[in-house]
Amino acid sequence: MADLGFMFIGLFLPLFPFSMVFNAVLARTSQPLLRWVLLLAWPQIGLWTLSAHAGAIPSWLVIWALATSLLYAFRLLAMREMGRWTGFLATSAWALLWLPSYAGLPASQLWSFAAGFSVPLVFLTLLAQELERQYGAAYTGLYGGLARRIPRFAGVLVISVLAATATPLFPTFFAMLHSLIVSQPLPAVGLAGIWLIWSWAAARLLQGLIVGPAEPRPELDLGIGTTWGYAAGLVGLLVAGLILSGSRL
Amino acid sequence: MNIVHQLVIILPSLPLVSALLTHLLGGTLGRRVSRISVAGGVASFLVAAILLGLVLSGREVSHVAAGTSWGSLLFDPLSVLMGLLIAGISLLVRVYSVRYMAEEAGYGRFFVLLDLMTAALLIMVAAGDLITLLIAWHLIGVLLYFLLGQDTRSKSAYRYSFWTFITYRFGDLPLVLAAAVLFHTFHTWSLPEIFAAVAADPDTTTFFDLPVYEVVGALIAMSAFARSAQFLLHTWLPYTMDGPTPVSALMHAGIVNAGGFLINRFAPVFAYTDNVLHWVFIVGVFTAVIGSVLMLSQHDIKKSLGYSTMGQMGFMIMECGVGAFSLAIFHLIAHGLFKGTLFLSAGGIIGEARHDDGVPKDDLYTFIIERRPARNRQPWLLMAGITLAIPVLVLLLSHLLVAPNLFQKQGAIILLFFGWVTGAQLLFATYNMRSENPWRLVALIVFSFTIVVIGYTLISHAFDVFLYPDPDFGTRLYKAAGIDFGWFVILVVFASAVIVLGWLRAYYTERSQGGRSPSHWWRNFYVLVWREFHILDIYTGLTRSLLAASARVNVWLRWG
Repeated sequence: MADLGFMFIGLFLPLFPFSMVFNAVLARTSQPLLRWVLLLAWPQIGLWTLSAHAGAIPSWLVIWALATSLLYAFRLLAMREMGRWTGFLATSAWALLWLPSYAGLPASQLWSFAAGFSVPLVFLTLLAQELERQYGAAYTGLYGGLARRIPRFAGVLVISVLAATATPLFPTFFAMLHSLIVSQPLPAVGLAGIWLIWSWAAARLLQGLIVGPAEPRPELDLGIGTTWGYAAGLVGLLVAGLILSGSRL
Repeated sequence: MNIVHQLVIILPSLPLVSALLTHLLGGTLGRRVSRISVAGGVASFLVAAILLGLVLSGREVSHVAAGTSWGSLLFDPLSVLMGLLIAGISLLVRVYSVRYMAEEAGYGRFFVLLDLMTAALLIMVAAGDLITLLIAWHLIGVLLYFLLGQDTRSKSAYRYSFWTFITYRFGDLPLVLAAAVLFHTFHTWSLPEIFAAVAADPDTTTFFDLPVYEVVGALIAMSAFARSAQFLLHTWLPYTMDGPTPVSALMHAGIVNAGGFLINRFAPVFAYTDNVLHWVFIVGVFTAVIGSVLMLSQHDIKKSLGYSTMGQMGFMIMECGVGAFSLAIFHLIAHGLFKGTLFLSAGGIIGEARHDDGVPKDDLYTFIIERRPARNRQPWLLMAGITLAIPVLVLLLSHLLVAPNLFQKQGAIILLFFGWVTGAQLLFATYNMRSENPWRLVALIVFSFTIVVIGYTLISHAFDVFLYPDPDFGTRLYKAAGIDFGWFVILVVFASAVIVLGWLRAYYTERSQGGRSPSHWWRNFYVLVWREFHILDIYTGLTRSLLAASARVNVWLRWG
């Protein structure tokens, strides 16, 4: 019975194949607000259910979570559509929340880890929608040259992708570092490998979008105000990362 | 907070402030914005020089902590020396870039990235805890990726900067794992506390009863190998020439040396290892030889320079492998200055080559057209004797001057051996030079070699005293790098025999004016070297297979 409970939680703290539910729902959700809510609330539901669950997490579940995370990280490499890319990265990152949960980290810390993973993904969703609006599709490798065409947008995109893939000093970096420290040796090596694949996927995504010649057609870059809004959000994330790491590592 | 601690904090803060101002004022100042970066560079260099002066004047080593678990900086000889090198090279690169990058798009962004890179490097060398070190180590890879991809139109620049990025990320992970092992063992992130605990209990074990220092040493060495382009993790270095020249200079003169720095920073851990330094030595020697062979076989001068750096990095890692840690620092500084000069003067050399191709004329041309006498050859056996004997005499005498107990350290003997090989190679090259008065040329070269060796010996001895003043610690490092004496003698004799036979064959071949044409086997070997052992092809094939597999999985699981 306890194991069935974990299967249910596996819908929200993704465990393959239950993880497919989240990605299917995200792919079919076109309402921007609903997508943000999904990205922010989905792992929190999982953590809340987990904290309410009485049983101890079995060790085989950690391996399953790690394998799920690895699978979605691997799938990121060839995923060109930015919306689904965001969903895969979310799945890969949230599955890793099982590791600190297994190690017995306090719930408040797990919630902050989940939020740290979700917020940059919300930024990426917003940016993907902007690309869809301008080009009809948010595909890496399809048009490229955004660094020359719309430099402010490209700058925000680069930093958001870095924030989402656990680059210092963003909260995701400290969440990964903390998860690694509390893990057993072999899961720690697996986690490090997943981290490496995220970096690879991030570079592939960015190269397909920002690199290339600028075509002579009028395009609308982000407004100054919007850019400052994104910058404030990203700086807020940085500060959150510093505060969380300073008090908990 | 005393003045030293304030300066330690100010040093990495200056480029950070400069980056922020450059970004904010870029729109207003236009191209003049580079002045902010240069001014920041001058200020950083002055602060670094003052800090070095304070260390030399006998100020105590100290630790500047922020009161949290991370964010601390060290004030010690290693951090201050490396800080001065980084601030100096970074300043030169910035001054050079003011005009060099003037026609490029993203001028302001370039200087922001350069400032951020300088700050990350300065934080890395002064990091007083593992988290600060990890953050700086990781950020250097990210910033280098964008610096090498400064030209956002160039897909090839990004393709090759990606190779650098992914190799650096690969190298980050062993360091993260090493940090985790150290934290598990000692329950602190602070480097001074960890090093004190290491010295207090050298037999600590970790999970699965593994000796903690062997595990940590091996992980740190792996991280250093990736950063310093050791064999199999080297492919990024010769191909990252599509980036701007100032970035190449910074990379080859500073960033790539980080492996040698990292091993030195963890010297208190390596001093208690048993086998790790032997592997470090083997990897270093192999890289030095392969890098030099690949350098000689390349037709592209940029790739050739890249492989030259790879060979030098191999030599630097090898010095760590024999226990000569301070010598590795001296080497990386000397190489940094030399290679930085080479890259920054590349434009001038290309300009000169447009007027004079520099291809040497053959004997017939110089004799008939230029009316110069044909070169005078000395007997090959006599020259071979001089080539083998003189360098070893010069090296022995100069080393005995500073360290009479030299032969008690295996590492020192190996370094002498390499010095002998280098000196003999220099004299061998003299034999092939065209000169009307070869004895004068030989005398000049022997004199220069003696000056260089004495200078090198004295400076390296000074570095040893400066970086590792405790003689017992130095002895412990050499001991950790030592092997069984019998095996040591066999290896040295074997290597000497191979090299001497090689030279004798080369002398003989030169004397007989080339003789037979190369064998089929030799040609195949040359093609293999020219194709860089197909390592790149293997990596490319592997990458494509993984991407194809990822795409297939996405098709199978297309629902979510």
